[in-house]
Amino acid sequence: MSYIDMSPPPRAKHLWRYTPWPRIQPQEGVPIAEKIVFTVNGNESLDSGAPRVVLESEIARVFLSEIGGSSHTLNIEGDVGLVHIQARASGHVVAGHLHINCKGNSTVILHLTGEADWSGLYVSGEVADNCKLAYGFVNELSNDCKLLHCEDWSVGRDATMEIAALSVGGFRSKSDIRTALTGEGATLKQAITVHGLGARHIDNHIEINHKVANCNSKLVINSACAGSSRSIATGLLKVAKGANGTDAGQVFRNLLLSDKARADSIPELEVLADEVKAAHGAASAPVNPDQVHYLMSRGLSPQQAEALIVEGFLIDAFSCLTDIDLKGVLATRMTIHLECELKR
Amino acid sequence: MAEEILNISNLHVSVEGTEIIKGLSLTINKGEVHALMGRNGSGKSTLANALMGHPAYSIDSGEITYNGQPIEELEVFERARAGMFLSFQYPSVLPGVKVGTFLKKSIEAVRGEPVKQREFRNQLKAAMQLLDMDRTFLSRYVNDGFSGGEKKRLEILQLVLLQPRLAMLDETDSGLDIDALKIVSKGINQVVPHAGCLVITHYQRLLEHVKADYVHVLIDGKIVKSGGPDLAHKLEEKGYDWLEVKNEV
Repeated sequence: MSYIDMSPPPRAKHLWRYTPWPRIQPQEGVPIAEKIVFTVNGNESLDSGAPRVVLESEIARVFLSEIGGSSHTLNIEGDVGLVHIQARASGHVVAGHLHINCKGNSTVILHLTGEADWSGLYVSGEVADNCKLAYGFVNELSNDCKLLHCEDWSVGRDATMEIAALSVGGFRSKSDIRTALTGEGATLKQAITVHGLGARHIDNHIEINHKVANCNSKLVINSACAGSSRSIATGLLKVAKGANGTDAGQVFRNLLLSDKARADSIPELEVLADEVKAAHGAASAPVNPDQVHYLMSRGLSPQQAEALIVEGFLIDAFSCLTDIDLKGVLATRMTIHLECELKR
Repeated sequence: MAEEILNISNLHVSVEGTEIIKGLSLTINKGEVHALMGRNGSGKSTLANALMGHPAYSIDSGEITYNGQPIEELEVFERARAGMFLSFQYPSVLPGVKVGTFLKKSIEAVRGEPVKQREFRNQLKAAMQLLDMDRTFLSRYVNDGFSGGEKKRLEILQLVLLQPRLAMLDETDSGLDIDALKIVSKGINQVVPHAGCLVITHYQRLLEHVKADYVHVLIDGKIVKSGGPDLAHKLEEKGYDWLEVKNEV
């Protein structure tokens, strides 16, 4: 089905309750979009091919595949080390599709920047059996940009995937990241940090689908919201029938930095297997005054103390990851972002 | 002539409307170690927190001067920048904040200027050697998953690096084994010649390594007895009852 034949999803649907489709689409109908420019490690371009759509019935993905044009593919074979992909979004409506095919071990950082009014990014990928991919997504779009962002991953037998996301750009973003653990012994560790400033609206929907037995997943989402910003995190953990031996955990933490800031965390479980460990928890709180006092007793002003606490809180989400490069790059980007904000 | 660091005169402090410190006076000069002893709930930690400016502690009356200047109007961070330091009994956990980052930011905040990386590294290395601390400590998050002893060592590492003029140590000896106590005491003794020191403790054992010039006994928010190091031995031997009876008389 093409996008134009699809009805807008109703707000009653869990996925579209907090950021309805009309609020995140660039305009009615199918716009002509310019392309996101992908460069690898500073200058190399990526192979491009036909668009791919993993979930053909899902409106955002269909829309992105129709306007995104050709898909750019990164093939990883053997031990590749750190790969840095710069995604540049410039223009009015801009879209792009990246596919990562991992048949080895690598750390890939996708860094989205630009001043486009509206950006649409679709990322898909597979981690083959016994392979390892650490993947980081950094959203540093300019402050007046809208972002629609979907990802679909599959992780094979005894494969490991680590996903880290840092959302500090744009004024409205909707991310929908879905990972299917398709081979026995697959492991997923996923950490998402959100920094809400001004009137930013950041909606993250994370689906983790345990399709087979003996897979592990861990999801941590830390959101710090200031001003009148709003963070929404919906998590859906699916455990298929027969996926026994599943060990899954989801933690949502929110730090509210002003009276007007809002953070909603909605973890959901859909468990059809019998022998499963599945835990989830959510907590929202203002900055702990004892932490502020402790830092002030070491000479930091209240503003410096709060900034350091927020930085630590956001970086702490990455504690569940093991890939040193991934953690290091994202923590550094976070620190730079916060230092820039502090100077404004 | 002795250089006065801290002078407390007839201090009354309350917490949530309840008076805890009830007319306490104390003078600490440079180079002096004052041990403050007393039962749980006698007001020892309240005094330290009030001196550091914790907002939950209200100074109802009395005067505190530090380096000859009243401090009541100073914010917590201004007191720290002026050279006051409190080693906390229960220091806060700061998830995601690396010890190395925290220490550098603290030093820069207290000194009021950026510290060169090389200078910081050298000072840190010397201080960590003194306290027999491993460098892996620096990449851990502040007090996150630390044992009681590790937390106290980190507090003393800060003491050594920040070189305050007034060091207040709130039960720094609790949670320390014998070896750790000796090491931590080395850190305290390094600071003592340049600072006034208020050591809050329950036990004589810390005072075997950190020589107190004065020992004060706090009961119900008042210093009921002051003396030399012998007083700590007597308290170890006899407890506090004999002082309470005398106090009532």
